Amino acid sequence: MFAKPSWSVKSLFKSDESSASTPAITQKQLHHLLRLSALPPPTSEAQNAKIIKDLQSQLKFVQVIQQVDAEGVEPLQSIRDETKEAEKENEITVKSLQGEFDKEEVVGKRGRIRRRNEVPAAARDERMKDWDPLAQAPKKLGRFFVVDTARD
Amino acid sequence: MSKAASVNGLHHILAVSRLRAATRWQSLRVSSLRRQWNLPINHAHALQTDAAEVNDVPLRKQLKDRAKRKRQFERIAVEDGTSSNGRQKEKDARLDKWKLTVGLEIHAQLNTERKLFSTAKSSENDEPNTNVSIFDLAFPGSQPEFQKATLIPALRAALGLSCNIHRESRFDRKHYYYQDQPAGYQITQYYKPFAVDGHVTLYDHDGIAAEDGQPVNIAIKQVQMEQDTAKSTLQPPSTTFLDFNRVGHPLIEIITHPQIHNVQTASACVRKIQAILQAVNAVTTGMELGGLRADVNVSVSHKGSDKLGQRTEIKNLSSFRAVEDSIAAERDRQIAVLEAGGSIAGETRGWTLGSTETKKLRGKEGEVDYRYMPDPDIPPLFIGEDLVNHIEKSLPVLPDNTLADLTTNSGLTTKDAKTLISLDDGERLDYFDEVRSLWSSTRSSSLSPSPAFDKIVGNWVLHEMGGLLSAAATPFSPKLVPPETMADILANLHDDRITGTTAKQLLAMVFNGDKRVINTIIKAENLELQHLSRDEYLAMAQTLIDKNAEKVQQIQQKRQMGKLMWFVGQMMRRGEGKVEANKAEATLKELLGLD
Repeated sequence: MFAKPSWSVKSLFKSDESSASTPAITQKQLHHLLRLSALPPPTSEAQNAKIIKDLQSQLKFVQVIQQVDAEGVEPLQSIRDETKEAEKENEITVKSLQGEFDKEEVVGKRGRIRRRNEVPAAARDERMKDWDPLAQAPKKLGRFFVVDTARD
Repeated sequence: MSKAASVNGLHHILAVSRLRAATRWQSLRVSSLRRQWNLPINHAHALQTDAAEVNDVPLRKQLKDRAKRKRQFERIAVEDGTSSNGRQKEKDARLDKWKLTVGLEIHAQLNTERKLFSTAKSSENDEPNTNVSIFDLAFPGSQPEFQKATLIPALRAALGLSCNIHRESRFDRKHYYYQDQPAGYQITQYYKPFAVDGHVTLYDHDGIAAEDGQPVNIAIKQVQMEQDTAKSTLQPPSTTFLDFNRVGHPLIEIITHPQIHNVQTASACVRKIQAILQAVNAVTTGMELGGLRADVNVSVSHKGSDKLGQRTEIKNLSSFRAVEDSIAAERDRQIAVLEAGGSIAGETRGWTLGSTETKKLRGKEGEVDYRYMPDPDIPPLFIGEDLVNHIEKSLPVLPDNTLADLTTNSGLTTKDAKTLISLDDGERLDYFDEVRSLWSSTRSSSLSPSPAFDKIVGNWVLHEMGGLLSAAATPFSPKLVPPETMADILANLHDDRITGTTAKQLLAMVFNGDKRVINTIIKAENLELQHLSRDEYLAMAQTLIDKNAEKVQQIQQKRQMGKLMWFVGQMMRRGEGKVEANKAEATLKELLGLD
């Protein structure tokens, strides 16, 4: 029964009667998109044509997806627990911030708030205390990262 | 193999080959920079050269020459019709036909212990690149961890600006490439900010334009939380030094509706918002120290028209003066363009101190596409109602209320009250409150307002203390002259046990380290006011009158009352601090037969 597939994903890339023709992607649009993603422009006409062809077929794919009826469905932002219980658990309340409020004091007679000058907070997480941020720098000078901005 | 991967591969190859060619050159540049940085600076030599040049022409002559040249230029300008006075009149005439509209976008660094999405500490003056986590450097695979403590100052700011707080809000990515933003996007709240619909009210004393009338209510569209960028130092021609301590630090962006119509009102609004943020402890530093900056949207339209003109945005203004000057310059530029028949392009412009016109930075708005998208790694923010209520209830007193209290209940002038509020991060005001309450409790057990006494306290805390502090070039501290000691001095002065001069003397003594109790000092140094008897007053007054017959005549016949005060002054001088002005005056009036 499963020997012969009855459907292939490739069908989503074929130009169909059902899909209205997508407007052609112009050279200007392609360059705009490549610039936004900090990608280099194509080096040959063949490469240019290939990118545009791929983009067009991807747009056809997106069109098919857009035809799905998603009326009344909230767009998915991320996979997470969206129940009311999870909401309650993640809600930030006075209780969840009590530790922070305890670090403050009120001074003077007009309710001025100030953080107590006690033990300064650790520079960063205990887990990363031996890590030097500059260790991965390709170029540095003293405690600074050095970057050459001539290359746009 | 997907197409995207091969394009990425190509990019990688191109990048690496470019790097190889540049590496040797780069290392040469870096080593030459290193040498430059390590050269000792020859101070003495430099000073000598400068002094030699200046000493050739005496300063007096330089100033005279400069003034002469200025007058010459002005004369020529008036003849040419290009004098600044004439131009000013032309400008004012144009303003009658055009209406200015301004909207503000203020970015303020929040007063937090840690950053917005990482546990790295927030920095003030720390060593570069020490408070950096892997997420701040956008290491692949690193995840954001929302630091909920950052909500506290954010909520204080929003509530100080009378906003409504959204129970649910979200974080979005704003994509653009720049070396001070490792991730290639800034995390902000574009679609659903945490606070909306606030307002700030401006009064005459805030420095609004007279034409606005008062009060002016500026509506605030929203307040959103977002990340700050790294600090970059440019080394021309194309090198940048980066310090990532600041990247990821929480900011709030406050966006007002375009309801400001005057240049002074715009800077007054920025100043007011800063004052409110400082009062509620939402920020650590103000504009002068880089903790707050403003972007302004400027447009002009015909007076009487409801439609707003095309706006341009001026970015990165870091002083109140820059806000005023840049808005005025942009307004004038737009009017000039429109009156010449042109049209305004929706662009981003920049302003540098000392300029006369804004400069175009970027093209039309459409050219910059931030590709906003909800950040899938960050869950929505849910703010509990109890938290909002708690913060609202414990919000410190806002500047307007403090000002009203100081002027109404403590009899201070608006100017003095404003100064008191803004000095020393609120410590001077706390000191004032402490002194007045201590003095008040020694006088009576009731806590009713006592403007007359508070005014005296204000004068001494602001002006007398102020004088000593600036002479010694010391920052203020309530420990210099403890509140009890100050209250003691004022009580003794008011009860006539010491003169004003003695009181100032005592203040200076304590300021300079005398730790004794005031009453002890008075006794030990014999500073107590010895009241002269009536006979002594009469005798002294009579002597003066006998010696200055002419002046007496001027007072009695010509009614030159000023001369009377001269007599009083003379008596005080001869009295060695024992003569009281009012008694002297009364005695003289009696002897001279005046009312």
